[in-house]
Amino acid sequence: MITYRAVHKAFDKPVLRGVTMTVETGEMFALFGPSGTGKSVLLKTTIGLVVPDRGDVEVDGVSMYHGPKRALDAVRRKTGYVFQYAALFDSLNVFDNVAMGIPEDELARLSKRDTARRVWDVLENVNLDPHEVLSKTPSELSGGMKKRVGIARAIVGRPEILLWDEPTTGLDPINTAAIERLIHRLSEELKVTSVLVTHDVEGGLQMCGRVAMLEGGFLRFVGTPSEFRSCSDPVVRAFVDRRAAEAALDAMVETR
Amino acid sequence: MTVERQLADAFTPPSRLTRWFAGWGRAYHVTLDHAGALGVLTWQILVSIVRFRVRYRDVLTQTYVMGIQSLPIVFVTASLAGIVTSQQGGYQIVSTSPRYLLGTLVVQSVVLELGPLLTAIVLVGRIGARITAELGTMAVSEQIDAFKSLGRDPVAMLGAPRVIAGIITMPLLVGFADVIGIAAAMVAANLDGGLGFETFLYGARLFWHNWDLFYGFSKAVVFGFVIPLISVHMGLRTSGGAEGVGLTTTNAVMFMILTLLIMDAMFPPLMLQ
Repeated sequence: MITYRAVHKAFDKPVLRGVTMTVETGEMFALFGPSGTGKSVLLKTTIGLVVPDRGDVEVDGVSMYHGPKRALDAVRRKTGYVFQYAALFDSLNVFDNVAMGIPEDELARLSKRDTARRVWDVLENVNLDPHEVLSKTPSELSGGMKKRVGIARAIVGRPEILLWDEPTTGLDPINTAAIERLIHRLSEELKVTSVLVTHDVEGGLQMCGRVAMLEGGFLRFVGTPSEFRSCSDPVVRAFVDRRAAEAALDAMVETR
Repeated sequence: MTVERQLADAFTPPSRLTRWFAGWGRAYHVTLDHAGALGVLTWQILVSIVRFRVRYRDVLTQTYVMGIQSLPIVFVTASLAGIVTSQQGGYQIVSTSPRYLLGTLVVQSVVLELGPLLTAIVLVGRIGARITAELGTMAVSEQIDAFKSLGRDPVAMLGAPRVIAGIITMPLLVGFADVIGIAAAMVAANLDGGLGFETFLYGARLFWHNWDLFYGFSKAVVFGFVIPLISVHMGLRTSGGAEGVGLTTTNAVMFMILTLLIMDAMFPPLMLQ
């Protein structure tokens, strides 16, 4: 279970203004919101990539920022993070990139053969042909392949939590659908707790058991997909309905 | 508040006094920020070395990149520096002093100053800028965050090998630059003014102190530590996309050259008294 308690974060201006919410164990949870509203920042506070100015994040009851020193390492060890643009290491080939996802101490114990087997299996699991990609560098891969390698790297360490930071950004509709199916399948097969940050509202609503919406640094909505669809809040409506979005945009222009 | 009023407020320039104080405040803040961060980075590198978290293979790779691949440019720089020193020194002393003093002048200049400093400045351009741009690109493309998310320490994996390689490589490059610079000066003195090799070496030995070599190599070790340290520090804190990488790399080069010149100026009072 992941609990965000009154998380505040400001860079040049406030981004998160006291976000409090809980993601249950084994749940698939989606986080929506306009660009620049702090969704990725909130996701990054889960594993200490961004440290909150105030507030705390608890993972399975252990405080990340006010608890034991080793809490952060322990949480990173059981978490897989899928970055928006995959964030593959340019200087390493696909094999080494994926193998990096295995925790350091475990990697030291594994034989070369076992490591190779594990990397091979996980590449097949994300629908990549290991023969084709294993020795390629990230610059030789397409956008969709990079995302899949990024996912493979995130799951090869057998995580209990998966954090997805806009995994379908920049992909064509077919690849977007393919990656969404993959996310759904992996989350069910691996029985992990998933937090998905996405702009693809329809995809998020179909895949997730609960969704939330951030707006202006505050949590605007938390509930089930059906509650989200029927919500009367105009900002939430603008995310569900294209016409509502255009009406909200017109209203903003008139106010100025 | 109307949009016009907000715009008017935003574009009203602050007074000169306010700008003066703001400028000093900013400079003070930036200096302390960098000094503190460099101190923390040095500590993290030391800890990663002591805990054997630095991969031997990465150090070897970086030593090759910094050392072997820098030999051609160090060769050219050192020989030209030696030739110019020899020609200008010859021009100065030809009618006033014994000609063997040219050997003294060249060897002292190369070993004490030109060898370490010119090699360091060459390394700033060839290695320092490269490290900053490389790590900066990794930072803006979230690769540094990816290292952290996978439980790896970017300082141990990326920073420490570069700093260790700098400390190993720089004295070797400076030794190479000293030999090449002196040899080139000797040949130039011979061709230009007809000064024999033995006369040149007699002058070189006449005022030679072994301490001078130690002094030159001490500079090399310090410069070899400072260049990768600043490059790693600047690279890891890069933000702002491609423009940010360019800006940080330019700033890093200026930062490194200024630091080298300041440290160079601190050596004589500390070691030549």
